[in-house]
Amino acid sequence: MKVAFVGKGGSGKSTIAGTFARLLARTGEPVLALDSDPLPGLPYALGIEVDDTPIPDDAVVEGPEDGARWVLAPGLDPELVIERYAPIGPDGVRYLQFGNTSGHISTIQKAQFAWSETVAGVDTDRWHLVGDLPGGTRQAMFGWAKYADHVLLVVEPTAKSLHSARRLLRLSEAVFAPETFSVVANKVQDDEDVDRIAARLNRPVEIAIPLSPETLAGDRQGQAPLDADPEGTFVGAVESLVGSLLDMYALDPKGAK
Amino acid sequence: MKIAVVGKGGSGKTTTSAVLARTLARRGGDVVALDCDTNPNLGISLGVGDLETERLSTLREQLDEGEAEHAPTWHEILDRFGTDAPDGVRLGVVTRIENPEPG
Repeated sequence: MKVAFVGKGGSGKSTIAGTFARLLARTGEPVLALDSDPLPGLPYALGIEVDDTPIPDDAVVEGPEDGARWVLAPGLDPELVIERYAPIGPDGVRYLQFGNTSGHISTIQKAQFAWSETVAGVDTDRWHLVGDLPGGTRQAMFGWAKYADHVLLVVEPTAKSLHSARRLLRLSEAVFAPETFSVVANKVQDDEDVDRIAARLNRPVEIAIPLSPETLAGDRQGQAPLDADPEGTFVGAVESLVGSLLDMYALDPKGAK
Repeated sequence: MKIAVVGKGGSGKTTTSAVLARTLARRGGDVVALDCDTNPNLGISLGVGDLETERLSTLREQLDEGEAEHAPTWHEILDRFGTDAPDGVRLGVVTRIENPEPG
């Protein structure tokens, strides 16, 4: 499967995506976790120690005049990039990111090109792709979720999160068919929260993840939910989400409902 | 004073900005609240409502897509791309020039 998590900042995309990637990997198939956030939060949820593992600048060379500005260096291909530059985390998940912005955004430009070419060329018969996008609408609408054939919109039951979600849905209409979108309600406290989200977005909620004190506590310690509270409600809900996505893809390999 | 509020997504930037703006206005200051976020929600926290927040966001999109002319002065920016929020705060959405023309 090829899925991407989008939503407002702080809605829980990284935490859900990282947990999702690890649970999916436990089914025994290789998973590549993709992070296109220049302030990456995904490693925390994956339980990977490093938080800055960019693809090095020498992985690319200048591209042809009429093509991409930077292309993978001779001898490198997507599989090799993953082999060399995507560290392995718990449950065997590989983690590919384009690096932290420690300074100006241009410092990671080469890594961004290498990342994009790798993601576009990766053998998706072999790998499941699980992507985490930066908060908000900008990157999602600038084509950074192109690799995905199913998009998971994470939304909290707050006015601002719902407002952002409506905006994302509206802007995404040109790129993604409605049946390739699923709503993930996060930090819900009761059925009323879930109903409000469904009504406001005019879409069914695929899965409702309860607000979990244990996950919050793990967050403070920098612990992945799967390590902080492996039997908890958060992990249980994400497990159900993995199950429903696997079912969806079994029915339609294109990831549509 | 000119204050910018920054931080990670979900940390409370927008909420903090809105409370700061209205508190300053209540103390008698003339306050302009600028939403520079690519996902502008400051209107919601200031209390102008969903519809007005979305109207401002759409105005900015038209500007970004070249369907609307930019305002030449900041007075005009606030006039055309702004709205009145409670406590006398003037809210404006601002954008940056993505591809400035040379010269």
